[in-house]
Amino acid sequence: EETTEGYFLRTLGNKSSTVLYYRELIEMLALSRSQKLPQPGEDTQILELLVQRDKEFQELMEVAQQQGKVHQEMQLLEKEVEKRDSDIQQLQKQLKEAEHILATAVYQAKEKLKSIEKARKGSISSEEIIKYAHRISASNAVCAPLNWVPGDPRRPYPTDLEMRSGMLGHMANLPSNGMNGHLPGDALAAGRLPDVLTPHYPWQPSDVSVGMLPPHHGNDFGLEPPGHNKENEDDVEAMSTDSSSSSSDSD
Amino acid sequence: MPAKNRFQSELEFVQCLANPNYLNFLAQRGFLRDRPFINYLKYLLYWKEPEYAKFLKYPHCLHMLELLQYEHFRKELVNAQCAKFIDEQQLLHWQHYSRKRTRLQQALAEQQQAPQQPPQHGNASAK
Repeated sequence: EETTEGYFLRTLGNKSSTVLYYRELIEMLALSRSQKLPQPGEDTQILELLVQRDKEFQELMEVAQQQGKVHQEMQLLEKEVEKRDSDIQQLQKQLKEAEHILATAVYQAKEKLKSIEKARKGSISSEEIIKYAHRISASNAVCAPLNWVPGDPRRPYPTDLEMRSGMLGHMANLPSNGMNGHLPGDALAAGRLPDVLTPHYPWQPSDVSVGMLPPHHGNDFGLEPPGHNKENEDDVEAMSTDSSSSSSDSD
Repeated sequence: MPAKNRFQSELEFVQCLANPNYLNFLAQRGFLRDRPFINYLKYLLYWKEPEYAKFLKYPHCLHMLELLQYEHFRKELVNAQCAKFIDEQQLLHWQHYSRKRTRLQQALAEQQQAPQQPPQHGNASAK
């Protein structure tokens, strides 16, 4: 199958033959002037050939015109295609953007849900908080009494006396000789105060419900908590709450 | 040990940890180097949960308990100087709000003294 171009080139390539025809015709016409009809059929033949050539050219021109039209249409369609392509790309960009925004929104919503859950888990009734705040403030456990001066035995932690009068203190005070290193008969060293003098420090809860139990540990530690009795008190430094030694005037 | 007693003894013990002198006492006797004791300290962290924490009278103990989880802290507590320093800082912190309140009260008292003078007008008919 030959392209229009190829055909044109081939035909034009034959222009030498076309030119030859023309030259021959002109020569013949020139001769026919001077002579009387040298070859009767030849000029007709050449003319016919020329006419034929002309027809062929005409046809080719028509084909070229049609192809030109087709080419134009093709260009129009290509432009359309380009436009659609750019539309699609634009849409793609927008979708990507939307996806990004949505992903961010979803992530933030999840974070919010997490913090809501966390807040819900940690929610405590205001009444309980107020009760607790009162409990720790009224006893001066977290805020010093306004009239506190160095020398005041009160502290933000259980003092010696409180420790010894607590359950642990009593547990450790077993009446036996030389128990835990302190001499028998030294009731003070043993931490056993006469009951009437035992101050009741309200740091053991009186409202412990039976349901309140410490988490199970199954005796993994193999150790009883150290006693609060004054074993080897002599070499215990600063165990007592001798307030003069802990004066904090250095403000 | 019955559970209720165990609860009470652990409650008392964990609060004793608020006392830096007691911590020094424990450190000097080597308790803070003892592996079972260290495990016990970790176990005691349950007092941080609200349903247990509400029984604490001395909340400072929770901070001490957290610090005690660190080996470095446990080692330092052997020094009496360290315990004394902690004690001093703890007391200063304890007094922080009282000092603030006292200052506020003083400021309020000063403020109330100031606008006692009546305004002087030139053409006051009351004079």
